[in-house]
Amino acid sequence: MSIFDKFPDILIHFSKLLGIPLYSESNIKMGTLSDVFVDYAEVYPVALAIQFVKNKQFFYVNWDDVEQFTYKKIIIRNSIDIGRSRTFPKVNKKPKSYSVLSEQFTGETTEYPAIGKVILDRQIVDTSGKKVVRVNDIQLIKTGKNLRVTHAEIGLRSMIRRLGYEKFVDGVFSIFAPNSKYLYRDTQINWKYVHAIPDKSVSKNLKINLYNDQITKLHPADLADILEELDTVSRDQLFSDLDPKLAAETLAEVEDEYQVNLVKNKPAEEVAEIIGNMDTDDAVDILDDFDIEKAEEIIANIEDTDVQDDITELLEYKEDTAGGLMSTEVFEVSKTFKKSDVISLIQEKDEDLETIYDLFIIDEKFKLQGSCTLRSLLIQKSDVMLSEIMVEKDIKSLCPETHWKEVASYMSKYNLINVPIIDNENELLGIVSVDDLLPWLLNEK
Amino acid sequence: MSIIIRISSKKKISPFLAKIFILLSIVGPGLITANIDNDAGGIATYSLVGAATGYRLLWVLFPITVALIMVQEMSARMGIVSGKGLADLIREKFGLKVTFYTLIFLVFADLGNTMAEFAGIAAAGEIFGINKYVSVPLCSIFVWLLIIKGDYKIVERVFLAGCSIYLSYIVSGFLISPDWQMISTSIVIPNLNDITMTDMPLIVGLMGTTITPWMQFYIQSAVVEKGIDIKHLWHSKIDVIVGCLFMFTVTLFIIVCCAATLHSSGVVISDAKDAALALEPLAGKYASALFGIGLFNASIFAAALLPLATSYYVCEGLGWESGVDKTFKEAPNFFTIFTLLIFIGAMIILIPNINLFKILIWSQVANGILIPIILLYIVKLCNDPDIMGDYTNTPAYNIFSYVIILFMLIINISMIYFEFFN
Repeated sequence: MSIFDKFPDILIHFSKLLGIPLYSESNIKMGTLSDVFVDYAEVYPVALAIQFVKNKQFFYVNWDDVEQFTYKKIIIRNSIDIGRSRTFPKVNKKPKSYSVLSEQFTGETTEYPAIGKVILDRQIVDTSGKKVVRVNDIQLIKTGKNLRVTHAEIGLRSMIRRLGYEKFVDGVFSIFAPNSKYLYRDTQINWKYVHAIPDKSVSKNLKINLYNDQITKLHPADLADILEELDTVSRDQLFSDLDPKLAAETLAEVEDEYQVNLVKNKPAEEVAEIIGNMDTDDAVDILDDFDIEKAEEIIANIEDTDVQDDITELLEYKEDTAGGLMSTEVFEVSKTFKKSDVISLIQEKDEDLETIYDLFIIDEKFKLQGSCTLRSLLIQKSDVMLSEIMVEKDIKSLCPETHWKEVASYMSKYNLINVPIIDNENELLGIVSVDDLLPWLLNEK
Repeated sequence: MSIIIRISSKKKISPFLAKIFILLSIVGPGLITANIDNDAGGIATYSLVGAATGYRLLWVLFPITVALIMVQEMSARMGIVSGKGLADLIREKFGLKVTFYTLIFLVFADLGNTMAEFAGIAAAGEIFGINKYVSVPLCSIFVWLLIIKGDYKIVERVFLAGCSIYLSYIVSGFLISPDWQMISTSIVIPNLNDITMTDMPLIVGLMGTTITPWMQFYIQSAVVEKGIDIKHLWHSKIDVIVGCLFMFTVTLFIIVCCAATLHSSGVVISDAKDAALALEPLAGKYASALFGIGLFNASIFAAALLPLATSYYVCEGLGWESGVDKTFKEAPNFFTIFTLLIFIGAMIILIPNINLFKILIWSQVANGILIPIILLYIVKLCNDPDIMGDYTNTPAYNIFSYVIILFMLIINISMIYFEFFN
């Protein structure tokens, strides 16, 4: 006799499993189903064990020991091991495939939390829709002798099912709107796009490593939106798991009010590592919100001394002026450079440069001598000297005290993508580029 | 390094000042929440208490304030430790069904509360001779635009500034120059001998308007929003205590104002407008005007924050998108809920000859049924080590909390009894 002999359905909703009574083969009631343990290491996790509750105590029984499965009752083989625990000790083999949750659980045996506890009614990140959503139900399918998790359900229909009105609402719809989308489709998230953020209590007992491909492939701006939607604890957790570079890019995109909160409780070294990876102008925005002692400590911890100097310099300027907006990562070259030198320099320094639309030619004392667009350089022969093609007269530049509105109208007037910022002695301090101004223009600051 | 030293000499502040700054940056949620507590319904109740009983019931404020501090402290602590809102935690611990029905009750109760706020706006307008068919539609549009166009942070800050208007009650109190000695004895020494059966609905009303369900949601979200660190738990407690003491003071002075004038000259009033109008011949034009301004401020800000907050909690609990910065298409449920709350709340006030009293009773009943339940959730959540870690309630704290819940239950059952059968 097979386990699903009396169970014709293919799709199963997790909420309908809850409360099914468990009986032994000799028809002794053992408890009621309260949750399911699944193998998080798989893309579509297979059920490993059933959690059941009796007299407020939690037990588990292996899926292999289930004799028969129906909505009415579950029959379990006689004389088998029953564990008493809220978690399931999973013996780890090498994971065959990678899944969102799989790498969280590594080690010899791992105490797996039950799926309902991790997912049901909780916020998860939908890495495909790039949103934070709340799970109403979990969809499983019958495959051979097993159950597999396939979708997290987040739509109205799953909500109504949980409330116990599914039959009633279905009936109403099939009478009055038989073709309604409601009856045929519900909003679901394919399991491979589900990124769960377990509770403190779950993650405390697990060596948790939330690094996973799906989430790190998101655009930092999307990641920032997701972070903003999460509660503070999950937000910190997700952010801490990003590598410093992605963390830096994401942090720059997060709205001001959350920025400091994300890093303020971290040790100075960690903040320094993230901030050192950011564009200096963004880094300064964040440092501005720290109290001065912590800011100093962070700056002192930044490895690259050039970045350190740049940041301390930028901190001097007011946030809403050209000085506060500018980035010190300027593509500075000497006029003796040839086209080929410039190209190889770009290849070498690509990582550190925010924009390279314009080249700025400086002398030994960092005084601005001329500028040259990348475009006008590209059309030249490779041995051309910058001094031959650079524009020397009437270079459009501004002083660091200029208010951002003036910067914007100046750039708009002369159709500039970048504007160099120079001091009284004509020394090149940095550049303001259009995207530094956009948040101000859009009133996001 | 030289540059670093240069900056530090510029901005260096003393450690004492730094502590004050930390405190100031954390103060807010508790103070704001306690102040919204003194809304239109609250002011009406306090006026009635003052006019009907004089100083006799002042001692009741003392246990109410203690209970309020304890309840809000739990909510604030939960917000700080878990980083989640109350609706969020209820959903995760008790599931969708419980959350759904709780939120339905909350929406219903808050619809009643919103109506009470618009009634307050109407009353405040009438004190200054403005017809309610002018003041209520104008204010409801203003409130709606404030939410849609305004920045929530700004709304809250304006509100905090508006809280200083509550000082007007204190000014009123001093202008009236009441019998201070009698006041202080009535606060400290409960006068149990003189309690009559007619006092009971007033005591019940005082508690009911002070500890409300939606405030527990509100303070927790406000704390979460601020992103206060566990290290600063203690500062947040101070914030809660300061806020509750401020509420205590304002409540005290409203009662005193009405007691010293209306009660001693035997004027009978039935709502806050009566109180303000009756104050004029007795205490002078300014006392009356201040009273009116205070009522207006309380009503209009609560009318903005209450529907908005309610909408947030419903979406938080049910997993719908929310946020005023979203478009209607992105967060349809969110926009629909608060717009309907404002719209229905204002419209019902404008129906000619409507029996407002009956509607308000029903909203109080919804509040009354909900509050012991919400408090039970809060205590349960506060005892869950999965959520609170090392910051669960102590046994003594639990005993106190259950006593408070029991009292709230008795009080709310008796409130329903008084309002329906007397």
